[in-house]
Amino acid sequence: MNSPRHILGTFDEALSSLRNNVLMMAGLTERAFDRAMRGLFERNDDLCANAIADDEEIDQLEKQVDKEGVDLLTRFQPVASDLRRVVAAMKLSPNIERVADQATSVARRARKLNRHPPLTETELVEPLYALAMSMFKDSIDAYVREDVPLAMAIIPRDEELDEMNATVQQQLIERMAQDPDQLRGYLNLIFVARCMERVGDHATNIAEDAVYAAVAEDIRHPMAEAG
Amino acid sequence: MHSSDPIALETRDQSTGPGPDTPATPLTFEIRNLSIWYGEKRAIDDVTLDIPANAVSSIIGPSGCGKSTFIRSLNRMHELVPRTRLEGKVLLRGQDLYSADVDPAIVRRRVGMVFQKSNPFPTMSIGENVTIGLRLNGVRDRKFLNERLEKSLRMAALWDEVKDDLNKPGTSLSGGQQQRLCIARALAVEPEVILMDEPCSALDPIATAKIEELIHELKAKYTIVIVTHNMQQAGRCSDYTAFFYLGKLIEFGATSLIFSNPRQRQTEDYITGRFG
Repeated sequence: MNSPRHILGTFDEALSSLRNNVLMMAGLTERAFDRAMRGLFERNDDLCANAIADDEEIDQLEKQVDKEGVDLLTRFQPVASDLRRVVAAMKLSPNIERVADQATSVARRARKLNRHPPLTETELVEPLYALAMSMFKDSIDAYVREDVPLAMAIIPRDEELDEMNATVQQQLIERMAQDPDQLRGYLNLIFVARCMERVGDHATNIAEDAVYAAVAEDIRHPMAEAG
Repeated sequence: MHSSDPIALETRDQSTGPGPDTPATPLTFEIRNLSIWYGEKRAIDDVTLDIPANAVSSIIGPSGCGKSTFIRSLNRMHELVPRTRLEGKVLLRGQDLYSADVDPAIVRRRVGMVFQKSNPFPTMSIGENVTIGLRLNGVRDRKFLNERLEKSLRMAALWDEVKDDLNKPGTSLSGGQQQRLCIARALAVEPEVILMDEPCSALDPIATAKIEELIHELKAKYTIVIVTHNMQQAGRCSDYTAFFYLGKLIEFGATSLIFSNPRQRQTEDYITGRFG
């Protein structure tokens, strides 16, 4: 944000606090995901438990962002870029919270998987995780830097992630047929892969909101408008 | 309106045209390269602007930016200040308000004005305040005056509150009622345009809301230009917004765009409170 300082210092402080809470949510979500995935790959239940515990703090931050956003709207009635920044922060936070929910889901699935012998197919979800997390991090960076090209570049990556997810799911379904004794394990991996796909969806939403905050352009649902 | 008016209604050209930032709707004012000086001081600097008809256009900007001078130039009231000089054109429905054959008094009848502080004539009753414009123009028909009195007060959303007190002094009303009385007074001579110079700045929120609601209703019949320091009021009331700074028009456009995504950095800095 390169805007000059607001005449009302309290407004800048309130906006800064709102933004910092959004970034705190994003940071904690990244950490939670990292713990959940390491819990899965390293078969470490403690890391899974940490990831699940992180969710509570992220949920509280989501409520805090909502409260501060409403306070800001009520007290300052911001317009133009200020209004977009407040609205974007309030729209980002539920998306980040849902990414954190996916981390919790992964951690829970990992704990179930950890109770059984390791599956070599676990590594299939690693590229999905790498892509989903890079999309999430880039979407947050795009929001912070108001970087429209970076945000726009996230949209096609979601299609790539969807395709990768479909491929992994197909591979896991085939393995279920070949090895029915491990059916529950493969099913848990399918759910983990689906969590990555959802992270991509939320990263896309965040990127769309980042574009709106930066240049007041609504890039959602382009096909619907064209039609 | 008498047919002898040099700028009478029937001769007016309903000109349309794409302004720099406005849709191709009928225009009430076409302002071209307008500059105004008070003595040596240039208050308005080369302003070109189209003001659409039957819409509310608000003028915003910091103190001293020329808002009031601009709005007063739309009915030649700025000429009441000594040593005033003007260049450029102000066309009201295609006719130059500043051509030599135009009577400023008739311009002011076509383009009414409501001021920051309500100013009912202190020695007159509520009824007399409303009809004074007509009576000064020689209208004596009591029935006509009474009809216009009721019509104007109804349009100003004041009739129900004062219909039993028409003989009471105008100054006996509350501040908000007095301002609506002044609007009724402006409406009584059936102008085409109503200019409002910070009409709510001395009013409480409820009186302000009534005036704003009135502005919304009046735009069906009138073109309204309002100067306001209240950004939220400009956002609520107006269809178009013009931002002035140091006598220059910085930006004019649909209010929804000006307040969500202005094109000029100066506009953005002003409306978001980052000016100076």
